[in-house]
Amino acid sequence: MNIVVLVKSAVNEAELRADPAGHPMLAGAAAKISNFDMNGVEEAVKQKEKSGGTVIVLTLGGADAKKAIKEAMAMGGTRGVHILAEPPDAPDSLGTAYLLAKAIKRIGEVDLVVCSEGASDTYQGQVGAMVAEFLDMPFLAYAKKVEVVDGRIKCEHGFDGGVRVLEAKLPAVVSVVSEANVPRYPTLLQVMVAGRKAIEDVPIASLKGPDYPETGMEVLDVTLQSANRKRVLLDGSPEDASRKLVDALKKEGVL
Amino acid sequence: MYGDEAAEVYGALLRSLSVVLDERVSPLSLALDQGKGEIDKPRRVLFEQGVCKLPHASVLGGMGVPFGVYALAMELVGAADASTAMSLGIHNTVAEAVAKFGSMEQKKRLLPALLSGKKLAAFALTEPSSGSDARSMRTTAFRRGGNYVVEGSKMFITNAGEADVYLVFAATGTGHGAFLVEGTNPGLKVGKALREKLGMRGSHTAEVRLVKCTVADDSLLGPEGAGFEQAKQLLDSSRIIMGMICVGIARAAYVKALAYAKGRDLFGKKLSDMQLTREKVANAAIEMSGARLLCMHAARLKEAGKPYSSEAAQGKVFATEMAVRTCDATVQLLGGYGYTSDDVHRHLRDARLLTIGEGASEVLRMLIASQELGRES
Repeated sequence: MNIVVLVKSAVNEAELRADPAGHPMLAGAAAKISNFDMNGVEEAVKQKEKSGGTVIVLTLGGADAKKAIKEAMAMGGTRGVHILAEPPDAPDSLGTAYLLAKAIKRIGEVDLVVCSEGASDTYQGQVGAMVAEFLDMPFLAYAKKVEVVDGRIKCEHGFDGGVRVLEAKLPAVVSVVSEANVPRYPTLLQVMVAGRKAIEDVPIASLKGPDYPETGMEVLDVTLQSANRKRVLLDGSPEDASRKLVDALKKEGVL
Repeated sequence: MYGDEAAEVYGALLRSLSVVLDERVSPLSLALDQGKGEIDKPRRVLFEQGVCKLPHASVLGGMGVPFGVYALAMELVGAADASTAMSLGIHNTVAEAVAKFGSMEQKKRLLPALLSGKKLAAFALTEPSSGSDARSMRTTAFRRGGNYVVEGSKMFITNAGEADVYLVFAATGTGHGAFLVEGTNPGLKVGKALREKLGMRGSHTAEVRLVKCTVADDSLLGPEGAGFEQAKQLLDSSRIIMGMICVGIARAAYVKALAYAKGRDLFGKKLSDMQLTREKVANAAIEMSGARLLCMHAARLKEAGKPYSSEAAQGKVFATEMAVRTCDATVQLLGGYGYTSDDVHRHLRDARLLTIGEGASEVLRMLIASQELGRES
């Protein structure tokens, strides 16, 4: 089975800092493979281990995105394809899906495209469905369990209070949620071997056709949520302070 | 340092190790210091990851990365759990001994198991009456038939009781020899674990006695009489690693000091805004970088096949003493919270061992001075 897994090099939100106005300081911010994509890669590799075949890791992003591809290859990806798109040329979700779909068509016969529920930095969750549309494949969203048997894919999609079971004929696109699996930790040897493998570079211009969708959508502003503590100091004897604490907690609705 | 392409690969390798350490080793560390949890659990994680394969040649089943990259990895392990780092460091010194001095048969028999962690090793040089003065060891090994009979006692042995293989140094008729003794040998007796040690409580330390311990001829590593020279070379290498582990220990304490200083209010401002705090922070940052550079300088000399005995000793003395200073400054900065919290003072207790073990600071200063003055130690 030929599987393509889509990964994104996302801003490492654990290390992201905001300026005093709350805008993320993106210049030079550390990037890593999107956390959710680890589940996508794990699912793809698991399916390859069951059925044989290849896992092609595909990403679109700046030069730094190669690190995400190599992280995925260390987990068991067979080879990597990188659509090089530095920030001024970086497309929106629709453009990204178009370019990914074009690259998948160029790869050739693909049975399954695996992605995650969304990127851990922007979390728009649009690309997977759009790729399925461009490829004219069924899209099985938010799968928490995936089975591939006899050319068909069966998924369980959990929702509040229930489970929906979906089935489709391959080729198909599936997005997995973090419940689907536990991503493996690659060994240091696997990291080193993946690090030395060549990655195929695909210029963005070679994929763009006259049908490239221009939405004209612009991101006007991004601010980070900040958690401001109330910093209330309760004075008095331990007994008084305890009473004040209980009152304050009741007032806040905590108790 | 290693060229762009290789540096990128080694960078990815160290980042991947950091993730494993953050998620699977650091969370176990405090409990191990408190005498809870399974001592071998973090070590198993790191064996699975292949940490011990890093510096060994690929033909021997290793990964063949430069020794400096292994040293940087051990800094990370030291920051995550000092005891595990020391246990692994010593284990890998024995693996290095087999790789460097062993016969082809010994390499085939032992290296795959040592590098994968199927077998754990211990390094048995120190004795109850001779630590730094290793040449005066009293343990003996004499030929009897086609065997050697080893008699004596070894003290403060890391991994004792858990190890499957002990590298035991003993005086022979022609000098000293290094013998690979199986943990199951009936003549090898492990004493009571030394539980009252100040730090490194996540590793086993005990006395190992050799009572009419009979080992086959092929247990001798290299030629008879070469043992003392082998020990010196292995310790030179190990000192770089112990120095880097101390850089890691210092960094673990330093991170806690920074977080506390930035959050603690006093006299209407943050502790981190106080001039004397800033001096502590700056000194720690300078000293950690200095220690890392000294150890890495020795590692680079080792990689290049140049003499590095004095440089390794310099790195170890500076890094271990720096770690004690930095961890002590952390306790001071956290005040009562530092003094009463295992999670803070354990770093100071851990660091304290390494100004003593693998060559006490005083002995290493003698070694450095001897080399500086142009004499062999």
